[in-house]
Amino acid sequence: MRNSGAVLILSFIAKLISQAAGVSAPGKPRLTSCRSPEKETFTCWWEPGDDGGLPTTYALYYHLENSETIYECPDYRTAGDNSCFFNKNDTSLWVNYNITVVATNALGKNISDPVEVDVAYIVQPNTPENVTAVVVDEDQGPFVRVSWEKPRTADTRSGWITLQYQLRVKQKKDKEWEEYDAGMQKYYNVFSLHPDKEFMVQVRCKPDHGFWSEWTQTTYVKMPDYIPRERSLWIMITIFSVFIVLILTWTLNVKRNSVKLCLLPPVPGPKIKGFDKQLLKSGKSEEVFNSLVIQGFPPTIDYDDLLVEYLEVYDNEEQELVLDSKDLSEDCMKSKSPSDCDSGRGSCDSRTLLLEKCMVGREGSRSDQHQYSQHGETSWASTESSECQGLEPGSPEFSDGRVKTWPVVFSSPQPHHHYQVEAVKPVYHSVPEILNHSSPHAMPANYQNLQHQDIPQQEGRFGKPACRHSQSYTHGLDTPAPGVSPSRSLEYVEVQRINPENMLLLRPLSDQNREPEGSDYAGEDYSKVKELTSNNILLLQRDTSYQCADGYSQAGQCTTQQPPHPCKPVIYQSHSGMPQEGMRVMGNGYVDTTVLMPSY
Amino acid sequence: MSRSLKQVAVLLVALLCLDPHGRVGSAPICAHGPSGCHVPSLADLFDRVIQHSARMHSLSNDLHSEFEQYFLPSKNHIGKIYRKCHTSNILTPNGKENAQKLAREELTEVILKLLMAWRDPLFQLHQSMADQQDFNSFSSNKALEMGDMAHELRKGVEKVAEKMRVLGMLGNSVTGLSAAEAMLPLSESGEAMSDYELLYCFRRDSNKVQNYLKILKCRIVPEHDC
Repeated sequence: MRNSGAVLILSFIAKLISQAAGVSAPGKPRLTSCRSPEKETFTCWWEPGDDGGLPTTYALYYHLENSETIYECPDYRTAGDNSCFFNKNDTSLWVNYNITVVATNALGKNISDPVEVDVAYIVQPNTPENVTAVVVDEDQGPFVRVSWEKPRTADTRSGWITLQYQLRVKQKKDKEWEEYDAGMQKYYNVFSLHPDKEFMVQVRCKPDHGFWSEWTQTTYVKMPDYIPRERSLWIMITIFSVFIVLILTWTLNVKRNSVKLCLLPPVPGPKIKGFDKQLLKSGKSEEVFNSLVIQGFPPTIDYDDLLVEYLEVYDNEEQELVLDSKDLSEDCMKSKSPSDCDSGRGSCDSRTLLLEKCMVGREGSRSDQHQYSQHGETSWASTESSECQGLEPGSPEFSDGRVKTWPVVFSSPQPHHHYQVEAVKPVYHSVPEILNHSSPHAMPANYQNLQHQDIPQQEGRFGKPACRHSQSYTHGLDTPAPGVSPSRSLEYVEVQRINPENMLLLRPLSDQNREPEGSDYAGEDYSKVKELTSNNILLLQRDTSYQCADGYSQAGQCTTQQPPHPCKPVIYQSHSGMPQEGMRVMGNGYVDTTVLMPSY
Repeated sequence: MSRSLKQVAVLLVALLCLDPHGRVGSAPICAHGPSGCHVPSLADLFDRVIQHSARMHSLSNDLHSEFEQYFLPSKNHIGKIYRKCHTSNILTPNGKENAQKLAREELTEVILKLLMAWRDPLFQLHQSMADQQDFNSFSSNKALEMGDMAHELRKGVEKVAEKMRVLGMLGNSVTGLSAAEAMLPLSESGEAMSDYELLYCFRRDSNKVQNYLKILKCRIVPEHDC
């Protein structure tokens, strides 16, 4: 007991001394890892602890499982410092090794924690060897073939160990490696590498159950410069465009109708009132045209219904058409377009009959004649058309021929007609009255011409219908000399002859031979020509009681003046100057005998 | 008339179906010899067997890892763990040279012994794992699959041995395993091994089997992957 106490005290003192001296027992070493490269040998490494300031020795001891025999490490040098190498003889597989490291120095020793090791599970092979990367050129493009060999120590030949490989590739500038698994084969083809670039290649391996080896040293390979996959790109582009075309075609096909509508807008068909297309298609033209025929057309003239047509012909240079009639002003305005005159005489077609009378003025027309003449039925249309077209500024066809002759006959220095329409009643200036007065005078020289041109069948009959001549009045024409009736008589005059002075000698139709002198058969609608003044003014005589009350100019009374009334006499005036009858020629001197018909 | 015929037909069919041994005879597929169908070569057989053993070993590895993860034994426990496995009685080569020194027949026999020794313990393992609440069904299924695999592997190796014997590669020294070879996993102390111990031991033994098979294959049919 005393000895033990003394020993304790001594040891305590020794410790204190050693501590004061700065030395101590070694620190605890630590086994870091044990590895076997080929499953036949293995090595363990430890980490020494603090050596305590004194030279320390380390020893590794182990014992196998279920055995108490402790062995010391057979080889401390082969594997380097702080390691223990177990050779083949000392290595047993599928047996647990219990390994400890003991650090010893002058002052003491220290034992590490034990580590259990089963060699079969700590296999980490060496790196593969002889890594080669070769560029192989093929049709699809060049690629790199990487090949290597197994680590020398690993015995795969006998099947003792089976290795599987892995490689990784990257460019120098890349951060990330691209890894490929090669399985158990010892080569690998790397595709889709960028041309004209240098690549780094590394390989490693691993056993079935173990750890990956380290990466090999970098192998460099340079890709050649080539144009990658041009063909496939073009193929893709082609397919894509074909696909687009197909889609467009299909879409167009689906929207066939709307596309057709857009590109080729339908031409509007004719719209003729009363025209039945179906009948036409069926081929029965008779019925078709029959339907166009309006019964009772041209209507019988109801003079009461007719608007007043005053034909006021002004000897005016300006070609202005002034419409006084309130009834027709609107209509006139509407229809007052030069293009509207397909009916000859100032656009007196059936539709715009009413307005045509105003059209008579032919505004803007350059021609000098605004003459309304009563044509025969057959010639009416043609005349009108010719008249009208010819008078149009732009129609060259009729610039000559008939129309031209008109001026000869009916030429008047003033191309203007001043039409005033009163909606009271139709006023007709019967030409016969004119004739009455003018008969003794020379006829217009171009009577012949006149006859020729437009009036093939009938002699020019000139009535003075209200501003328009239309079928209506042609019908009226047909009726032989109907104008005698007092209530509504359309007295037409016909040109008897044209005197050399380009004067139309008119005479009433009803009485071919009658001397239209002083006869007052025109009734209220007509004004007789009383006399022809020297100024080429036709003075019309009207019924004083009736006509003048209505404002009609009376030849007798409202004479020698420019009667502002619409019932101005139409005065013919030749180009060369009319004989100085007391007729006042207004414009072209053509009296439109058109009966003002209600428009259809 | 037709109805009675129908009944007769039905009866016949029923008889055929009910007689498992009658019609479902195990006529060999390749009755006409090599030209009739493809007979797997020894190399193919070896490949299949080795693949099978690899799968078995990976299963055992997974189970062992799961065990260690969830039921991490203490250090003391680790010390205790390494009791002898019940198969330690079987002499197995523990090195490459030792394994290569063994003859083919011996090697084959070792493999078969090992596989046989594990037939019952694996069944036990599955049972105990299924019973315990600690394991999820996935693990117990793995254990069951492992047991089946071991059984299949043994059959496969027996076929390989048969083939080798036919080809004259194996002598007749390979004896069939008797029932006496099958051992119960009893430790020295007589206690039944725990699940973890069983898993640990089986993992090792499956690794052995895989390794031995590979050696055998590369010794007998060296051209493939050797």
